[in-house]
Amino acid sequence: MILRFAAVVATALVLAGPAAACTHPRTSLAYLEGQVMCPTCHTTLDQSDSAAARQIEGFIRQKIAACWTAHRIEAALVANYGQGILAAPSHKGFDLLAWWLPIAGVLAGAVVLAVGVWRWSRRREYEPDEPPDPALDEETERRLDDLLARFD
Amino acid sequence: MTRRLKLTAQLITLACVAGLLALLVWKLSHQHHAPRVGSVAPAFTLRRLDGPGKVSLASYRGHPVVLNFWASWCNPCKSEAAVLERDWASYHRRGVVFLGVDYHDLASDARRFVSAHALTFPMLQDGSGRVTGRYGIDQVPETYVLNRQGRVVAHLAGPITDSGFAGKFHSALVKAAA
Repeated sequence: MILRFAAVVATALVLAGPAAACTHPRTSLAYLEGQVMCPTCHTTLDQSDSAAARQIEGFIRQKIAACWTAHRIEAALVANYGQGILAAPSHKGFDLLAWWLPIAGVLAGAVVLAVGVWRWSRRREYEPDEPPDPALDEETERRLDDLLARFD
Repeated sequence: MTRRLKLTAQLITLACVAGLLALLVWKLSHQHHAPRVGSVAPAFTLRRLDGPGKVSLASYRGHPVVLNFWASWCNPCKSEAAVLERDWASYHRRGVVFLGVDYHDLASDARRFVSAHALTFPMLQDGSGRVTGRYGIDQVPETYVLNRQGRVVAHLAGPITDSGFAGKFHSALVKAAA
């Protein structure tokens, strides 16, 4: 009984040891699987079951156990595989375009929409309720004059 | 005012369409296909996996070259490794150079693979797959045999241990070394 208890305590200490050694919140495999690409299948790791993806997952697991931060793990993967291993482009250089272009597109769309709505509403504002009467043709005018002349 | 606005909107739309077309053309023109037999193999410079420094393919001009693309996570590469090492041992005396190109792989795992299979020919690292892509590789292992002029003599898209490839590999080696 005592031996069993000692074994349980020892196992708990072994498992808790590395966790306690971390000085920061531990990142998770689930989080990084969505941030890292499988290099051979061009999907994120969580959507891939290829051998290359499993290898990277093993690496991530190992580094999480060693208390590496998500940023440090990503940096190590970039050093090995290049920038293309990350699902999201970096926030510097030419890659910035990937972040700003969609925002610029949405803004430009909003401006175009706003101008369109403004012009449409202005047109409605100045539009007369009823169309003006068309001018009378010569024949009708002459007949009308004749009729009116009878009442003089 | 309205006309100017309309003209500006049309110009912006045209510029967007032209930009998208240019991107499409760029993408199509940068797609790589496997170099054909008889064509010059794409040049490259890669980091060594088994030591410091870089190696360029051009530095082996004048030698027949066997370019073997592999990865530590690839199962057929394991059975192929011993055959490649044996062939390297017998052909390098005739001036044939064997180059291993490790593709989309963790360098640490790749080094373990090289050590476990006691591979002694030079190993290069292509983690990003940039060079491998220029050879049209989408699976490993694949092997190219180049002649002394750097032209492709054979392209074997599969393990050289396969019954269909073994004979082709050796005849290509003999042809390249001639």
